Amino acid sequence: MKQNNMLAMILAGGRGSRLHDLTNKVAKPAVSYGGKYRIVDFPLSNCANSGIDVVGVLTQYESVLLNSYVAAGRRWGLDTKDSGVYVLPPREKADANLDVYRGTADAISQNIDFIDSYDPEYLLILSGDHIYKMNYAKMLAYHKEHNADATIAVIGVPMKEASRFGIMNTDETGRIVEFEEKPAQPKSNLASMGIYIFNWKLLRKMLIADMKDPDSNHDFGKDIIPALLNDGKKLVAWQFKGYWKDVGTIDSLWEANMDLLDKKNELDLHDSTWKIYTEDVSALPQYIGPDATVDRAFITQGCRIEGDVKNSVLFTGATVGAGAKVIDTVLMPGAVVEPGAVVTRALVADGVKIGKGAVVGSADSENILLVAKNVKGVE
Amino acid sequence: MSKAFGIVTSSGTHIKVDGMQDYRPIGAFSFMGRYRVIDFPISNMSNSGIDRIQVYARRKPRSLVEHLGTGRHYNINSKRGKLQVLFSETSSANDFYNTDIAAFMENIEIIERMQIHQPYVVIAPNYMVYTQNFDTLLDTHIESGADITLLYHKVNNAREAFLNCDILNLNKQKGVESIEKNRGTAKERNIFMDTYIMKTELFVSLIKKAQKVSSAYTLPQIVNMECEELDVRGVAHRGYFATITDFKSYFDANLSLIDFEQATDLFDPEWPIYTRTTDSCPTQYFEGASIKNSVVANGCLVEGTIENSVIGRGCQIKKGAVVKNCVILAQAVIGEDVHIENQVVDKWAQVLHVKEVVADPDKPGYIKRDDTI
Repeated sequence: MKQNNMLAMILAGGRGSRLHDLTNKVAKPAVSYGGKYRIVDFPLSNCANSGIDVVGVLTQYESVLLNSYVAAGRRWGLDTKDSGVYVLPPREKADANLDVYRGTADAISQNIDFIDSYDPEYLLILSGDHIYKMNYAKMLAYHKEHNADATIAVIGVPMKEASRFGIMNTDETGRIVEFEEKPAQPKSNLASMGIYIFNWKLLRKMLIADMKDPDSNHDFGKDIIPALLNDGKKLVAWQFKGYWKDVGTIDSLWEANMDLLDKKNELDLHDSTWKIYTEDVSALPQYIGPDATVDRAFITQGCRIEGDVKNSVLFTGATVGAGAKVIDTVLMPGAVVEPGAVVTRALVADGVKIGKGAVVGSADSENILLVAKNVKGVE
Repeated sequence: MSKAFGIVTSSGTHIKVDGMQDYRPIGAFSFMGRYRVIDFPISNMSNSGIDRIQVYARRKPRSLVEHLGTGRHYNINSKRGKLQVLFSETSSANDFYNTDIAAFMENIEIIERMQIHQPYVVIAPNYMVYTQNFDTLLDTHIESGADITLLYHKVNNAREAFLNCDILNLNKQKGVESIEKNRGTAKERNIFMDTYIMKTELFVSLIKKAQKVSSAYTLPQIVNMECEELDVRGVAHRGYFATITDFKSYFDANLSLIDFEQATDLFDPEWPIYTRTTDSCPTQYFEGASIKNSVVANGCLVEGTIENSVIGRGCQIKKGAVVKNCVILAQAVIGEDVHIENQVVDKWAQVLHVKEVVADPDKPGYIKRDDTI
């Protein structure tokens, strides 16, 4: 808190049901990405790198793994005397019944006491399931410079896709004049990234009013932002340029992994000035065997490769047996491709085993095949 | 909590690894791309429940101290446990006097104080690579009733290897009759792993005695002298064993572990070797990269060809480069179309302009830290 008087709250309660079996047991923010990360590592590392010391993580759906994962704040260096990562699932209160978080705004409302205990001037609201690198300190500087009541991070999207997003219509100074959720006829291509900076005193008032409103969805996009605009508050759009992905489906999660294979990929995880931190795993370095081939791949420690890997991303401890082929595929942590098996255009879930000689997926499939259960070998 | 505390010793003055040791002690040498040699003794101790550990540092301790930090990454309890780095500050200009005994003498009060909680001491070197459960070794030591237990590894290449090491002469009951230098006169030898278990009290008295006998005495020398009086026994070590006692042995030890079968002899999933993370991302292999029979750490960018090599964290192997039988340390760059063979390339070095750097496998070459050639 000492650094910039801004506290961050990460919304990490969502299931991500379009990720199917990947999120049966874990919430979407805990889904693995990029060889060694979990999605929530991105907002958490961004916070650490932006000089934010205190981060609350709002969890709800299948939160056992996520809670224990984010609680170890030292992974992101958020474990100094003045910093910490605090897990905030719904809880029973003296003056209210135990209830789930009914919406994004409600999750914050139910933790007003937590935020008040730090007495921040600004509150940063983040989503736990986006992949991007952002310096929130720059966004805060913009917020202050414009004397805004709230600042919303936006990203330019192709006009023809704009109707899939929450679109911010701004005037020439960058002030938001209108917010349209998934407009049929978009007037602008500036999509909300679900990243907000609020002046805490103002937001606090709005949240208390929102809690009492029986017609509210208790949602930032649907309720809080429109209410602020109605009240004539100053909302400004801060335009983000760079890689940003909300991986909602198996196809988009696969694609986001494949993006890492590009030579000049915008996410640039190699950048030592903005590292993404994650769990420190005790694993061997990667072993590439005498008969292996590796062509265009992103491979991390603990992997052992005896076969052929092409155009693929291999997560911690994935193994590829002799004579096996892994093409256009994502192998999640501990996935095993036994000797002679062929895997094409697939996303193989954590710990799943593809048996000897099995053939999985195909090069001309429309969608990426999610392999979430062991596949028997062919004798 | 273990009945023993741990001591990790630094290499004696007779051990010299050309080049690399100018920058850091052997314990801080990079090993298998992502480890440091000292990770092995400390992880062995930590996995054995020993969480009070003293690390002795002699020269150029910066890199070692940085790597050890608070010891949290070694799974040592940050409240109950302790990882201490003990420096020898009064080292003599004449290296002859800078013995392990002199270093222990300098810190004798700290060692004596350990007795309150830990009646035993496990001593292991920071220049040997092996895994060993010290907890079971301590049990063996206590059950045997021996005064001192020494760990050794039986080898059949002592004529040409392990020449900087000591050997144990054992009687049929595994009693140690003497400790002497390996002079390369016989194939089969019991290489002393410079690893001891004894009562802390006995250890303190040996240090003091050694100082009285000769100010140039080392721990193996005083133990050798006591072999007749004390019950000193040898226990054979099984599994992978390597010593980093000269440049060639460093090179060979790294390359020997490229063979996965060999590596499983050292690395056991139930016995993790801990190290400090650098938070580097996975390694990226580009189109046209070719890699065979190699061990690669994270954070590398690979466009060229790698064969039979160990590549450290964050290295760049540029287009057209061929790296063969090499140990490349972290952050090194092998430039376009460079052909490099049988070399150790130290940290941050860049091989850009000299397009052919090839040495004989029996006499591997060395590119200095931070150097550009």
